[in-house]
Amino acid sequence: MRELASSSDSAVTTPTKLQPTDLDELRSAVLDTTGPVAITGAGTAADWAGALGAVDAVLDTTALTGVITHNPGDMTVSVRAGTPLRELAEELSPHGQHVSLDAARIADGATVGGLLATGDAGPSALVYGTLRDLVIGTTLVLADGTVAHNGGHVIKNVAGFDLAKLMHGSYGTLAVVAEVVLRLHPVPKATATLALDCTLAEAPDHAARVLGGPFEPVALEWVDGTLLVRIEGTESALDARAARVAEVLDTDERHSRRTGSDDSAVRQNGWGAHAAAVRGAAGSAVLRIGALPSRLPALLASLPGTTAITAGLGTGVATVSLDPAGVAEAHALVHTAGGTSVMRSRPAGSDVPAWGPPPSAIAVLQSVKKVLDPQGRFGPGRFDPWM
Amino acid sequence: MALDTAVRSAFEQVLEPRDVISDPVGCRAYECDGLTGYRVTPELVLLPRNAEQVAAAVTVCARHRVPFVARGAGTGLSGGALPVAEGVVISLARLKRVLEVDPVNRRAVVEPGVTNLEITAAASPHGLYYAPDPSSQQVCTIGGNVAENSGGAHCLKYGFTTNHVYSAEVVLPDGSVVTLGTDTGEQAGPDLRGVFLGSEGTLGITTKITVKLLRAPETVRTLLADFPSVRAAGDVVSDIVSAGIVPAAVEMMDTLAIEAAEEAVHAGYTVGVPAALVVELDGPVEECDSQFEQVKALCEKHRCTRLHIAGSPEERAAIWRGRKAAFAAVGRISPDYFVQDGVVPRTRLAEVLDRIADLGRDAGIRVANVFHAGDGNLHPLVLYSAALGETARAEKLSGEIAELCVEFGGALSGEHGIGTDKACSMPKMFTEDDLAVMQRVRDAFDAQNICNPGKVLPTPRLCGERPGKYKPHPLEESGVIERL
Repeated sequence: MRELASSSDSAVTTPTKLQPTDLDELRSAVLDTTGPVAITGAGTAADWAGALGAVDAVLDTTALTGVITHNPGDMTVSVRAGTPLRELAEELSPHGQHVSLDAARIADGATVGGLLATGDAGPSALVYGTLRDLVIGTTLVLADGTVAHNGGHVIKNVAGFDLAKLMHGSYGTLAVVAEVVLRLHPVPKATATLALDCTLAEAPDHAARVLGGPFEPVALEWVDGTLLVRIEGTESALDARAARVAEVLDTDERHSRRTGSDDSAVRQNGWGAHAAAVRGAAGSAVLRIGALPSRLPALLASLPGTTAITAGLGTGVATVSLDPAGVAEAHALVHTAGGTSVMRSRPAGSDVPAWGPPPSAIAVLQSVKKVLDPQGRFGPGRFDPWM
Repeated sequence: MALDTAVRSAFEQVLEPRDVISDPVGCRAYECDGLTGYRVTPELVLLPRNAEQVAAAVTVCARHRVPFVARGAGTGLSGGALPVAEGVVISLARLKRVLEVDPVNRRAVVEPGVTNLEITAAASPHGLYYAPDPSSQQVCTIGGNVAENSGGAHCLKYGFTTNHVYSAEVVLPDGSVVTLGTDTGEQAGPDLRGVFLGSEGTLGITTKITVKLLRAPETVRTLLADFPSVRAAGDVVSDIVSAGIVPAAVEMMDTLAIEAAEEAVHAGYTVGVPAALVVELDGPVEECDSQFEQVKALCEKHRCTRLHIAGSPEERAAIWRGRKAAFAAVGRISPDYFVQDGVVPRTRLAEVLDRIADLGRDAGIRVANVFHAGDGNLHPLVLYSAALGETARAEKLSGEIAELCVEFGGALSGEHGIGTDKACSMPKMFTEDDLAVMQRVRDAFDAQNICNPGKVLPTPRLCGERPGKYKPHPLEESGVIERL
């Protein structure tokens, strides 16, 4: 908010802050304002994607909280979008269930809606996918006040268009996400992580041995000179499985083991370093990159001025911190390698391009924006210069 | 009103003239998909040989505002590929190359006419496979799977088509060609790929698909267990879920379905038992073995009357043959049947099955049940005889069952799609505003409303007068002739 007012030339008045506490209030808030609106959650990704332009109002979703329904037997939960995922996790924990998402900023209080809007995900995307794979329904409020549901409360459902997917990576530009229905997974009984010191250039061979074997790792990431491999499963089977992975990695069982969920594993050394690298180095620009896994190491090595790198050698998803001056070149290099790049963390005051060359379907994106938000009220600037 | 000659010759300029079928007999072969109750003969059928020809044909459609319907193998069960009168069918049957299998990045690039099972066949030399496995996987095409977001028996653990497609090259309704999705789960901007998946051919035609391949699991353990009641079998499923086990598949069949399947394929099911459960686990051997013991114990705890463990790949195949043959097999115990597809929260299965039995009894119609018990996806088979004049009653019952699923907090369709069949039931599940917003997104892709019009979303024309609805010929009703 403060940053927004100072960084915008035209904004002389402070935007009105709206903080609805339920769906009706949310709808009224949208209808009571006529100009451009910024949709915010916990603010953990406020500096991601393009810089917000001038807005009349900030629609803060953090008072839209709480579980609406949790059906443990069906492994689904519907939740108001402003609920921090870590709070949801606490609520689900007694049932031995969780949302299989381990994005670093969950620990910072990121909301379910914010995580969806930013398309954020963590290392376990290797098996569980991203939120686009875990969201089974949403309730949206459009810029004209229309309340629209899609999907439902059952995991398997092909009725109607899957508009929840449109929210994934939309950065608050298409609609306000009011409610989200998620599929849940059992919290693993036990988790183990194996670590192997190697260079990024050496990592793919090691990764290939693990991915090519029957080990079913849930995460496989290279960070800062170490390859981390996480497996999860039942208590009784885990030691034997870890030993087999250690053998194929030719590492002397330098592994850490925990009972319980990913969350505890993330707090351990290796994954802690990973989460820190994903958040980015201070003063740097942070880019999220996706590319064919086989092309990823060489691509990352070619980027100018990188200071921290995580590389998902199974997912093809990487996060790099780099000198803001190198961002435009990095976008171009990623694009040339057939990949995708998204700005995460613009250093304050810098004018770096958030997006690379537009995708081939840019005209469809623009049409979708036009039909859902014809006046361009939501999230002005976020997709500048695409739409 | 026939398409004008200029339009026909425009198609003949972008395709080879022999690939444009216009004679009514040839076109009639395309008049319906797997939902044979609805039939419309298209004006023309186009058989493009490559993606460029698909784009060129769609461009002609766009220029002349000719409605078009894409078609794969025609196995769809919701009338999604039902032709549009005065429109053309664009068959993707000739785009059937596996373009690339990339074992390093564990993916394959295929054309839409490749069958589901051909992908796995191409991947298997590398120890890889394509996970979604609809029962029709030997014949259904990946293009159709993308359109329907197909599931299958293993989607409880592995997810649906949408979870296994990285990207799709798509010819949009204006003839332009775009790629939706990327090489990873990471995208710059909203997930248009995810909206296209499952849009039932209403947002464009896919001409190239990049799918995820998984490493074949180290171990697979499959059991077939008989139970004294559907409820007991359901309780086993609940206990499996509560134990934190995610089986690769959990399938349930009731007495009638078992009887039909056993008569058809002799897979070793026990005729006469109230319920049979197929449970399959897969994964690393240690994990799989430890969980399989738990599952066996749970079956025994709920007094299974027989526990058959597949001791060989052949025995496993037999169990699955019985399950997968169930749809077609009911043809042996009933002259006609509708396959319904609804979803309920899994925890309400027993209640819903009781209600379905009541509805069936009231209608005087038998219902056999086959379902994906893990995810609550029901496939009630409504058995009737057209010859005895039961068609209308059976159709009504089938529709009531789908709407009952919505009443129980579920969905109108789990995997067969809305298509023509259920478009008019959509208001049971969605509000007018919900549907209007879906229509807006559809307009963003197809401003001229020429891409598979009349499907998925209800229209007054479709749901008011219901023109084009198939009425059996009197000779069919009397059993003198039949359609195959």
